[in-house]
Amino acid sequence: MTVPTQKPARKLSMQQRYSALTHDLDWDPTYVTEEEIYPYTTFEGIKVHDWSKWEDPFRLTVEAYNKYQAEKDRRLYAVLDGFAQSQGQLGLTEARYMNAMKIFLQGIPSGEYQAHRNFSHLARYFNGPGARFASLCQSLDELRHAQTEVHTLSHYNKFFGGMHDWSRMSDRVWYLSVPKSFFDDAGTAGPFEWLIAIGFSFEYLLTNLLFVPFMSGAAFNGDLPTMTFGFSAQSDESRHMTLGLEGIKFMLEQDEDNLPIVQAWLDKWFWRGYRLISLVAGMMDYMLPKRVMSWKEAFELYFEEQMLNGLFKDLEYYGIKPPRHVQWAIDEKEILSHQVYWVLYQYSHAAAFTTTIPDAEDQAWLEEAYPDTWPVFKSVVWDKAQRVVDSGERYFNPGLPQLCQVCQIPMGFTEPGNPLVQCQRHSIYEGERYDFCSDGCQWIFDREPEKYVQAWLPVHQIYQGNCGGPTLPDVAVWYGLEPGDGGEYIGSMDHQDWLAWHAPTIKEG
Amino acid sequence: MQFELRTQVVEPRRKTFSNLVRRYGDRPASRYEEGSVDIQATENFHYRPLWAPDKELYDPTYTAFRLTDPYSFMDPRQLYYAPYVQSRAASGEAFAKSLEYVDTRQLLLKLPEGWQAIVADLLLPLRHYEAGAELISIEGSRFAYGTTIDQACTYAAFDRIGNAQNISRVGIAFNDGHAHALAEAKEKWLGDPALQGLRRLIEELLIERDYAKELVALDLCDRLLYSVMFTHLDEAALLSGAGAYSLVAQHFSTWFLDQRRWIDQLIKTWFADPEYSEVNKAAFNDVLARRWNQIVEAVSDVAAALDARVDTGAAAAAQAATSAVAAQLSELGLTVPGGK
Ligand SMILES: [Fe+2]
Ligand SMILES: [Fe+2]
Repeated sequence: MTVPTQKPARKLSMQQRYSALTHDLDWDPTYVTEEEIYPYTTFEGIKVHDWSKWEDPFRLTVEAYNKYQAEKDRRLYAVLDGFAQSQGQLGLTEARYMNAMKIFLQGIPSGEYQAHRNFSHLARYFNGPGARFASLCQSLDELRHAQTEVHTLSHYNKFFGGMHDWSRMSDRVWYLSVPKSFFDDAGTAGPFEWLIAIGFSFEYLLTNLLFVPFMSGAAFNGDLPTMTFGFSAQSDESRHMTLGLEGIKFMLEQDEDNLPIVQAWLDKWFWRGYRLISLVAGMMDYMLPKRVMSWKEAFELYFEEQMLNGLFKDLEYYGIKPPRHVQWAIDEKEILSHQVYWVLYQYSHAAAFTTTIPDAEDQAWLEEAYPDTWPVFKSVVWDKAQRVVDSGERYFNPGLPQLCQVCQIPMGFTEPGNPLVQCQRHSIYEGERYDFCSDGCQWIFDREPEKYVQAWLPVHQIYQGNCGGPTLPDVAVWYGLEPGDGGEYIGSMDHQDWLAWHAPTIKEG
Repeated sequence: MQFELRTQVVEPRRKTFSNLVRRYGDRPASRYEEGSVDIQATENFHYRPLWAPDKELYDPTYTAFRLTDPYSFMDPRQLYYAPYVQSRAASGEAFAKSLEYVDTRQLLLKLPEGWQAIVADLLLPLRHYEAGAELISIEGSRFAYGTTIDQACTYAAFDRIGNAQNISRVGIAFNDGHAHALAEAKEKWLGDPALQGLRRLIEELLIERDYAKELVALDLCDRLLYSVMFTHLDEAALLSGAGAYSLVAQHFSTWFLDQRRWIDQLIKTWFADPEYSEVNKAAFNDVLARRWNQIVEAVSDVAAALDARVDTGAAAAAQAATSAVAAQLSELGLTVPGGK
């Protein structure tokens, strides 16, 4: 038995103290092997020689984490409660703004939740205690995001369509297979690929493009709860960005053989993430009554300037090159949102949001934001749609679209440099033909065809009778769509309610 | 006549989300329900995991314990993220206060010699036990089927790494700011015979690949270990002038009461399942058959080592706890291996 003696050692530095509270909790097992405890960190081919070289992306203890987060949530929920009590939804710019939030609720919390579960996988299965603890904190944060998003939008759900069955819809509805397949893809990969896919590519490369449009859209359109949520999540996000950056640097510094693997993942996940957020492009240019900036401007600022001219300059040191197919994304920036919104417009009878033809004010804004592409697009698409409306009808596409096998977006993108020719690529795998929207998606398929042939493609599934029945009404029931969820905005339940809420009443006195 | 502009009375279209209406009828839902029920995807998965090609991304067969409806388990504490961090911020502050009190008066250094040895040799090494318990719990955060179980496991994992950090803080305070008590404690965890039963258990559980079986075995060990290390020693410490130990121990006992609430509810839900009740009992019996004697031995080794430093009757307390837990398990219709 030992009784500690007062050794004249010096007091612990902050770093030693942090290490004593985190890394030093780990030990080398002897009753079983390290490989048995952490069996998933070798099959991807990433070589790690020394986990102790992992630099903590942030130094938080459990005590500090709980304290900060409790305070943040106290403030957030106070805003949510106040907004609900004062019927704050009446102060939005217009009811159609809610379409952005419908897409947000249907697409984002389920992704946050997947991030939570899969960061827990890393928190369990990375060999290094520093990497595990950082992943554990992110796992909790992502659970927070999923729940606070649901709680933020819970009040709106009581007054607007399209939000009431978000969790079932995220498993079933055609356009929501885009985010679902994205996160399923990352979650079924190994832990290092997850870290590049979500920790780095999604949380670092593309995070501003995803969140700033929603959050500043909220700020400009009177949506205080979503704006407050966004600010509140921001400090979590900055921790996530540093984790993603540490992850990629750690892999690159551990062994030079890791470079080609990491580069290929970066190439894949840039394109996968970019295609995913094209839904955001359509939303921000067409669904916000008051706009902040165009997709093109956001892409130039948050991606070309901050990432290509900033981050990738730093990563050059490691031999990392900008993502393959990045030029294709740059070439698309003036047409992407038009094409995506046109798809959403045509199929919104089978969706849980509404769409409408851009009104005169919208059109003036679009013309200014996209002087080269909008006039052409308007005459080819919207003038025709308007003629249908003028004749007392509304154009919905009666057929089912063909989906890209990888990103699962309906094939509607065009050849680079030729916005009037639809792009279609295909590969043959084991005698079957698979179609893609772009070189990027085809390249991703060709690397791992055995993975992408498994995709649950909504349109195929409808044809195979797995979605409630053979007709569109059958499918709509299976999707959980109710009257007031989808279709045309003008005259919709949301629109009518909005007008009724704001109709002045005459009171005699 | 005067005109007054006012907004119409606004009637909500619905009280909550459709999935909750399907489950509970058209009534307002709590934030716990809206943030926890049916959140995890359950169908139409796109790809099989590269590391488990026979399973779906979320799959009830990651464990032998099954529920017909995963949301038949609801956390009796109703903890979602916000109340979780709020309650832990409060308990963290309480622990920090106790530790500061103990630290400024150097009460740990003034403990009777035998109690100093208990802290150095047996309490401080348990920070590694807690760190291992975190790894076991976070496995449930990834592999549980359904958000309510996942979420309880997630918070348990964070609690346990928090426990490990708090024990480490005791170690730092114990040495008046120096780390060698922690370094020595680690050597004990790795080599002291009294602790090898615990360490072997944790390491073996970490290769099981069935989060619920791991969780059940860990919980059985917790029940015995916490009852000796914290409940029994808390009282003994008060009686023998080791108030500082008591101050520290009560935080861990309080935490464990909270932990028990969701685990007991989970076990109750498993055994009440309309379809899988027997399957779950068989899985539990499987854990008992494989682990019970191992756990009892591991904890009695610790108890004997405690008595060797200060004779508080820890061995008898361990035996009493073992009999009590065995009786509870038998009452649930489980088969507790005999001989211990
Ligand atoms: Fe997030
Ligand atoms: Fe695609």
